[in-house]
Amino acid sequence: MGSLGNLASSGTLTQILVGLSRTTILFIVSSGLTLILGVLRIPNIAHGSLYMIGAFVACTVIQTLGGGMPAFWAALTVAPLAVAALGFVLERGFFSYLYDREHLMLLLLTFSFALILGDLVKIVWGAEYRSVTVPAFFQGSAELFGLPLPYYNLFLLLVGPVIAVFLWLVINRTRMGKIALAAAVDSEMVSAVGINVGWVFAFTFVLGCALAGLGGALIAPMVNISLGMDHSLIMEAFLIVIMGGLGNIWGALLGSLIFGLTQSLGILAWPQFGIVFPYLAVVVVLLFRPKGLLRSTW
Amino acid sequence: MKTMASFLATVVLVSCTAFSGFAGDTIKVGLVDTYTGPATTFTNDVLDGFRLATERINAKGGVLGKKIEHVTRDDKFKPDIGLTMAKELILKENVDILMGTINSATALAVSDLCKKEKVPFLVTFSKSDKITGEKGHRYVFSLNENTEMAGRAAAKVLAAKPYVKYWIAGDDYEYGHAIANGVFDHLKSLNPKVQLLGQSWWKVGETDFTPYITQILAAKPDFVIVATGGAGMVNFQKAAQSTGFNRRVPFYQHTAIELSTLLPQGPNAPEGVYGTANYLFYYPDTKENRAFVDEFRKAYNRYPKSGALYGYMAAEFIAKSFEKAGKVDREKFIDAMEGMAIDSPVGPLTMRGCDHQVLLPVFFGVTKKSPQYEFLVAGDIVSVPAKEYMPSCEEIRKSRAK
Repeated sequence: MGSLGNLASSGTLTQILVGLSRTTILFIVSSGLTLILGVLRIPNIAHGSLYMIGAFVACTVIQTLGGGMPAFWAALTVAPLAVAALGFVLERGFFSYLYDREHLMLLLLTFSFALILGDLVKIVWGAEYRSVTVPAFFQGSAELFGLPLPYYNLFLLLVGPVIAVFLWLVINRTRMGKIALAAAVDSEMVSAVGINVGWVFAFTFVLGCALAGLGGALIAPMVNISLGMDHSLIMEAFLIVIMGGLGNIWGALLGSLIFGLTQSLGILAWPQFGIVFPYLAVVVVLLFRPKGLLRSTW
Repeated sequence: MKTMASFLATVVLVSCTAFSGFAGDTIKVGLVDTYTGPATTFTNDVLDGFRLATERINAKGGVLGKKIEHVTRDDKFKPDIGLTMAKELILKENVDILMGTINSATALAVSDLCKKEKVPFLVTFSKSDKITGEKGHRYVFSLNENTEMAGRAAAKVLAAKPYVKYWIAGDDYEYGHAIANGVFDHLKSLNPKVQLLGQSWWKVGETDFTPYITQILAAKPDFVIVATGGAGMVNFQKAAQSTGFNRRVPFYQHTAIELSTLLPQGPNAPEGVYGTANYLFYYPDTKENRAFVDEFRKAYNRYPKSGALYGYMAAEFIAKSFEKAGKVDREKFIDAMEGMAIDSPVGPLTMRGCDHQVLLPVFFGVTKKSPQYEFLVAGDIVSVPAKEYMPSCEEIRKSRAK
């Protein structure tokens, strides 16, 4: 059963590409998580809930506009904005008062928000699961050595680098990004030179939330949108962030790559126990690099 | 003084318990089930089907001059909560009969309680074959098919097909493995030529099936048994549709043809997927089924799913069995239930006496587009009658003796 020889087959390339498209979603969500973790020092457990809300908003937008490409693009725009707005309220209304508290307090607060947001979704969208389809343009699949690669996965393969470049530009080429980087290292010093750190924090939090919303909107056509989709994701996102180095965006990218690829190649090598491989990778990484692969900002 | 007080308290307590059991002029049914979360897609239909049938029975004067009333409790899909709720329904609400639940672990826990408390428990939707199999007893009844039955019925149809190399893939939890083994083990005994090429198991709640699908396609099986449940049903079908999996290799999923799986996907569900179901609102196209569908749609403005049949059956079985028993007595009710026959939208159904498992047909079909509906329906339907796939009473006796 399950020979490693499978890895050398023609299916490997397809499997790598499929793994990379999974990486895209993981990277978008975990980069938002790690951004907030690095700059604001908030381990945001409610990040998964924001991702779930993004998926539900996308679903509502697509259904209201009656499907098709315009509805899909609208969903990809509206969902991150809606989640960002929610993030803004959460940051200004609650977190901004608690930055000098212990991490444990912040953790508890985000945990309570995860529960509240979960119930809020139940009130707004109901408990039944929903489903939207991939827009007609992305339906069907490309052929690669006789194996299918859905067009939507190809689209995700393009989105991943775009988001990565966008984040790089925001952080390294904008004033706000540079201040955020500085605030991550020493927020007291930043405020001492006369910069309003509060608004830098708000900006970072909102950006992180928007990424969660975007991740939710992107995954929406692929899955059943349901309560509970937040739980499995937040676990994976935290593992990725820890593996990559807390607060390091490129760490999140590296972690997502490891997670996505070990999963898809693990399935190819040993389908019966395919689930194990990404977690095994986490164990191995943490055994040898307990502080994560890249430099943590903590 | 102290003895007096405790004496009085005892009197009050004793009289409470003594009267409460008999005082009502209603028959009280307690429903413990999951009324929050994704499982409500299935459980709300049980409740609505039950409500519809009891309203009709009550309008005709009830049973033995008593009305059937019901109380519900939400177990939130958790066995410990379900058990607490069941206890409360038995001890405080003094229900005559318990019904529920969709979670097999809860059903088994409640079944154990009902055995001790001597309260009849009608299981609706839990699919573990242990309920009426090895863990069965006098007080528990099952009103739906279980993994063993579904597996045998599907194997019966698949054995006649020419496929040899099979692949098993599914949600890595008890239901997934039970369904997969149920199908494959019986298939193997009916058609010794079949072989198992390999297996894939993913975690429950897996959202991205694409890597699994490409891997299975690379292995080139003739047929795939997909053992998903709950939300995994739709998730997998969506992935099958976008990868064209269904057009490259035929596959079977229990409940693939059910409305609960096909409705959320609208016209974009994959075609050609084999599946089994207990109930389809458009099949059999009989007077009874049409009348039931009309009545259900008028009341709730949607098509009935399998759960509606289970709820409807429960009410019918309760009414007819109390009628036969002649009075509201739990032991007499159970005696009357054994071998009881009712009419249902899918034809006459019998409660088997030896294991308290309802004998009902399983429909095997394949998904196809329909000019009539906005969603896919089952085509090429084969009705597998209960006698062709049920484990025998002898087999049940053996598994209970273990």
